[in-house]
Amino acid sequence: MKKLLANPLVLLGFIIITSILILALIAPFIAPYDPDAIDVKAILLSPSTHHLMGTDGLGRDVFSRMLYGSRISLMVGFVAVGISTAIGIVLGAIAGFYRGWVDTLIMRIVDVMLSIPTFFLILAVIAFLTPSIWNIMIVIGLTSWMGVTRLVRAEFLSLRNREFVLAAQTLGAKDTRLIFTHLLPNSLTPIIVSSILGIASAVLVESGLSFLGLGVQAPQASWGNILTDGKEYIQFAWWLSLFPGLAILITVLGYNLLGDGLRDAYNPRSSQH
Amino acid sequence: MLINHHQHRSTTLALITLCVILTSACGDSTSNKANAIDYTKTYPASNGGTLINAMMGEPSGLIAMIAGESAASAIAGNIFNSLLKYDKNLELSGELAQSWDISDDHKTITFHLKPDLKWADNQPLTSEDVLFTWQKVTDENTRTPYGSDYKLVIKAETPDINTFRVTYAAPYAPALETWASLHILPKHLLKDQDINTTAFARNPIGSHYYKLEKWKNGQYLKLTRNINATQGQAKIDHLMSRIIPDKAAQFLELSADNIDSMGLNPIQYARIFPARPDLNKNIALYKELGNSYTYMGFNLKRKPFDDIRVRQAINYAINKQEIIDGVLLGLGEPVASPYKPGTRWSNPELKPYAYDPAKAKALLKEAGYEDHDGDGILDKDGKPFSFEILTNQNKEREMTGVLIQRRLKEIGIDANIRVLEWASFLGRFIKPKEFDVVVLGWSLSLDPDQYSIWHSSQQAAGQFNFISYSNSQVDKLLEAGRLELDPDKRMKIYHEFSKILLEDSPIVYLSAGYGLTAIHKRVKGISNPAPPAGIGHNTYEWYIPKAYVRTEMSEN
Repeated sequence: MKKLLANPLVLLGFIIITSILILALIAPFIAPYDPDAIDVKAILLSPSTHHLMGTDGLGRDVFSRMLYGSRISLMVGFVAVGISTAIGIVLGAIAGFYRGWVDTLIMRIVDVMLSIPTFFLILAVIAFLTPSIWNIMIVIGLTSWMGVTRLVRAEFLSLRNREFVLAAQTLGAKDTRLIFTHLLPNSLTPIIVSSILGIASAVLVESGLSFLGLGVQAPQASWGNILTDGKEYIQFAWWLSLFPGLAILITVLGYNLLGDGLRDAYNPRSSQH
Repeated sequence: MLINHHQHRSTTLALITLCVILTSACGDSTSNKANAIDYTKTYPASNGGTLINAMMGEPSGLIAMIAGESAASAIAGNIFNSLLKYDKNLELSGELAQSWDISDDHKTITFHLKPDLKWADNQPLTSEDVLFTWQKVTDENTRTPYGSDYKLVIKAETPDINTFRVTYAAPYAPALETWASLHILPKHLLKDQDINTTAFARNPIGSHYYKLEKWKNGQYLKLTRNINATQGQAKIDHLMSRIIPDKAAQFLELSADNIDSMGLNPIQYARIFPARPDLNKNIALYKELGNSYTYMGFNLKRKPFDDIRVRQAINYAINKQEIIDGVLLGLGEPVASPYKPGTRWSNPELKPYAYDPAKAKALLKEAGYEDHDGDGILDKDGKPFSFEILTNQNKEREMTGVLIQRRLKEIGIDANIRVLEWASFLGRFIKPKEFDVVVLGWSLSLDPDQYSIWHSSQQAAGQFNFISYSNSQVDKLLEAGRLELDPDKRMKIYHEFSKILLEDSPIVYLSAGYGLTAIHKRVKGISNPAPPAGIGHNTYEWYIPKAYVRTEMSEN
């Protein structure tokens, strides 16, 4: 861990992610206003000491909405990735461990899923369901497990014939023991890397969906729908587009820095530079 | 590969954010081009020039009865005539007809066409064409939503080439209005065609001021002066309608002097324009009360909205002025009847429900709703008072929904908002009546008859009374209003109808917004303030002085 954080970019990513997590956790204590409190006498005020990030088209405080919005964005990221990682591990482990026709079947399903542009698949599914934060998390999770499956399978395939696994097998270890105590712990690093990068992607997808009006529904705030609201006023209320845009940018950057750093640190072939 | 994907996405996003910052920073520096010309001088009226406007959507065709959408009727209205028209004070006058007689029993109307009318292709326009149009609009095979009014005609005949006569089974007060909104189509071009699919819809021949010159898919429609026009000659040579499906993009085109006119939203009107003196110098703004109102309608077939106390309570709980101030930025008026405020049909004695949360709570308590379990939400028989507000993807309606939601929460009602795309909104929720509450708008016709919206017989799937309103008194008034031809008696009928409707509260009237239009100052001859018929009533008199005609690049 020490070696990892010695890389300034990884450290930066780590700091970004931790600060955003902390801000999201303590949002109710530091938000100066109720994020849904409407004040039609104070619409579209520019940033000031009263409203750090100004107010939106209904006079709501953008700073408070950003804080609450961070909870949505992060929650979507974690839950969606939790779902996709869980599915990915199960399917990847089965495919990589048992090989044969099960492997072929699972990999063909993966190929089929990968051949569909994910964002449009999500759009189509959400258009049929009620758009809500839970549906979004589930749909993102269910449509982004293919990468993890492939990773886990590849790890399993290469570990499967290593001496320590063969030794355990020769000693009579059951399949479940082989998978859970020998193979899985040794495949964790790439899974973690891919999950962290997956969170970044999920945050973006959620913002994109909310931006298109299919995401988190009003009046609940998310970075994506604050950004959409801002689009209408972009010619004179720059703060409505700038702050959520920057927040998404910084968060995604943070996850990417952290994920890339982790990958480099644990990849012997790329640790030299 | 997966990883590349992520990086690619974040780069794209970074670029978008950058662009966003750059465009907002550069917005003020684009105005140097047109400053040289002073558009405030007056010149005598002259012919020539092109008026370019922007529209949100492309028409599906230019036969208005088939196409149905507003983009189609806006353009077709420059190409086709009706028998009658509304003048600038909204009085009926002749268009193709020079006069009309109504029989003593009020059942027969005889229209006398102007002599020597011609289509744009030089063929004579006669009563045969009118009869043909009536046959088409009432034909079962014609896919039009407008047929019902014309099906009330039991006999249509053409005694001679300049006379058209219709007979109704019973007096029908809105009859004349219906003949002011039916575009007369050329029989000689359409008689062997299927009107639903004919190529004529994209290549129409009409009789009005303009004819279609060019229709470039997804880009523009260009109209040019019709030398055979039945109503005299318009001054501007060409009307061009550019298809720009986004208000913000339209606004940029207006700022860059690439279009002459567009409809503005309240933000553009009230916030952006005042901050841009460079635009104010060249562009004039017009404001007039529009022909529509926004409302929140209850599904009266669902509990608890069948209880008048609940409906009235919700009406009292909503602050309409707040919606006008917050959503329309003050550019609207409250309404208390389904008629345009200030017109004869609007009952001046009616006032909207005041914002009174205490009264709302009292009414709800009377209806059995109280917060028994102390969770902040009212409940009855153990069920919390919770429902869904449906609306379509329309920024102003969404914001209205948020304001309503907030006010309802304050009196203990838990409302969720659901925003849907228009087609699925209509198909999945309105037609099968699968909704609690909707936020929607009604456009108003000039005739006060609103039988199709409020009469209890109009509740079938796809009909307009989708809130299932049923009141025998209202039914009787609506029926009487159709039979009554005396304007003063008719007015009394509709005033009474509006009064009952307000009391009954099947919908909550929210606001009537102003129509906001921006037109470049090179266009002269615009009446301001607008007469009752609206700013666009005399477009044929608008002109662009030679000195102001923009230099155009030829495409060929």
